[in-house]
Amino acid sequence: MNAPFLIAKGVTKRFGALTALSEVDLEIRSGEVLALLGDNGAGKSTFIKVLAGAHSPSDGELLIDGVPVTFSSPKDAASAGIATIFQELALSENLSISENVFLGRELKRSVLGVPFLRRKEMKERVAGLLKELEAHISDPEAPVGSLSGGQRQAVAICRALNLNAKLVIMDEPTAALAVAETRKVLSLTRRLAERGCAVVLISHNIADVFEVADRIIVFRRGRKVAEKIRSDTNPEEIVSYITGAHPDVRALEKAN
Amino acid sequence: MNRVRTLQSPALVLSLLSLLWVIVIVGLFALKPSVLSVGTITTVLQFSTILALVSLGQGMVILAGGAGIDLSVGGTVSLSAVLGMLAVKAGLSPFFLPFVCIGAGTALGAFNGVLVTKLRILPLIATLGTFFVYSGVALSLTGGSAQSGVPDWLLWWGRGVLAGIPVPFLTIAIPAFAIAGVVLAWTSWGRWVYAMGFNERSARLVGIPVDRTRLILYSLSGTLAGAAALFSLAWLGSGRPNIGQNLELESLTAAMLGGIAVLGGRGGVGGVFAAVILLVTLKTGLLQLNVNTVWQVGIVGALLILVLLADRFSESWR
Ligand SMILES: Nc1ncnc2c1ncn2[C@@H]1O[C@H](COP(=O)(O)OP(=O)(O)OP(=O)(O)O)[C@@H](O)[C@H]1O
Ligand SMILES: [Mg+2]
Repeated sequence: MNAPFLIAKGVTKRFGALTALSEVDLEIRSGEVLALLGDNGAGKSTFIKVLAGAHSPSDGELLIDGVPVTFSSPKDAASAGIATIFQELALSENLSISENVFLGRELKRSVLGVPFLRRKEMKERVAGLLKELEAHISDPEAPVGSLSGGQRQAVAICRALNLNAKLVIMDEPTAALAVAETRKVLSLTRRLAERGCAVVLISHNIADVFEVADRIIVFRRGRKVAEKIRSDTNPEEIVSYITGAHPDVRALEKAN
Repeated sequence: MNRVRTLQSPALVLSLLSLLWVIVIVGLFALKPSVLSVGTITTVLQFSTILALVSLGQGMVILAGGAGIDLSVGGTVSLSAVLGMLAVKAGLSPFFLPFVCIGAGTALGAFNGVLVTKLRILPLIATLGTFFVYSGVALSLTGGSAQSGVPDWLLWWGRGVLAGIPVPFLTIAIPAFAIAGVVLAWTSWGRWVYAMGFNERSARLVGIPVDRTRLILYSLSGTLAGAAALFSLAWLGSGRPNIGQNLELESLTAAMLGGIAVLGGRGGVGGVFAAVILLVTLKTGLLQLNVNTVWQVGIVGALLILVLLADRFSESWR
């Protein structure tokens, strides 16, 4: 197996008195879909916000390709090749698809220092990406406000691809989607991994996770309580980790 | 959502405003035919120059969201005008008058920006505070009296008329709107303003420098107020400590009427421009019909409430 793209060591995040993440160690590999599972408030979103540079960890470190990194903003994480599709998507509904895909890193032509947009190039690039993803969106100039939930996920994924991301993090991408759209997003997820991206997927839907994930990690109350290769486990076992019914979790929680 | 889009499209805003404008003109003509003359057009455009510059700044501050509003614009105009004249009185070469006015305006605007972005004071409160401070200082520095001593060359510019159109309107108001329109529509800065205005959290997440952009916009609102102050000197021939009176109300009305969403992220400067012309035409008309100034302010206020109501309804259609 290839060397991990990202390693988290002892990552801890405190919000005042509340410890949202405690000593999390994990590895993320290229070409692999890693699923993070856990109850509400388990710390999944907090963990990926640390990866995405939106929160800085209270303790612990991140290594990318073996080199320690610190992110002080989402921009830092993006330059390191980490693209995050947040639970709240981070799309601007008043802008078009192509404007959203390029938001914050527009293609521009500088005239006297004024960054004029290269609309045509941006539009063509986005049309290409949408086609490659088979997203069935014909007009990259359509306002994002007019798209369905699944189409918005596709736009967010386009954004990640366009950043040439090496790691794409998706926080509950299918939470608000109907069956057909969920299928589509899951196949997009697989396609990302096949392109050689590392993918981290957060979901509450165990069936979805078992469909696309290569590896499954369970969080509970801010700690990592399980890590399994998909073929070595089954949904019942994972659920027992999530709920805390599994003997391992009991033992762990008793020890503390 | 689509419905909102079509309802608030720039073309619709413009045609509605033009329609209103025609109604105002026809009404005026019916009541007092002698009103319609080239002279009136010139006067309207002269008054429009101040309101246009100030409303442009106001509009962009609102567009950028974050509960953005600049209530201090009137105070900024008054104080910039007064500071310019006092500097000349203190011995500064009048050649520097434009720099003092515009520089003072920019600094006063930047101070608002710092209060909002660095000290995180709610824009409404911050600029209400500076509104009182700026207008108060303008009054106390002058004891309330107009400051004379505007150089002739400036008057020549300020009072110049070309084919019925005031030269300052041609040389600062129109270029300012043209530049703002181009920047908003065609540059990445413009996209950032719309993005942060609509959804600030997502704008931050994609790495847009939200605070810096907002600071610049408040400063720019000050710059434009400073330019309006300069024009007021060049037009009226003196620095009046109350020249900016009611500008906050009128610029807000123009921005809202021009289709800028109160919560930011939607609208453009073309509508603001049309709204300014409409408002000033209405005011000039009322003046010509000898309607009391108190009523004029009242009518502008009523118009503002109407626009906010309309905006409210279009929100709830989403
Ligand atoms: N910015 C914050 N300030 C204070 N507490 C926070 C903050 N963000 C998260 N928390 C707390 O940290 C804990 C973990 O939250 P987190 O959002 O990571 O959970 P989650 O696993 O993503 O849950 P869900 O499945 O509901 O999305 C929760 O108790 C939450 O209230
Ligand atoms: Mg979450």
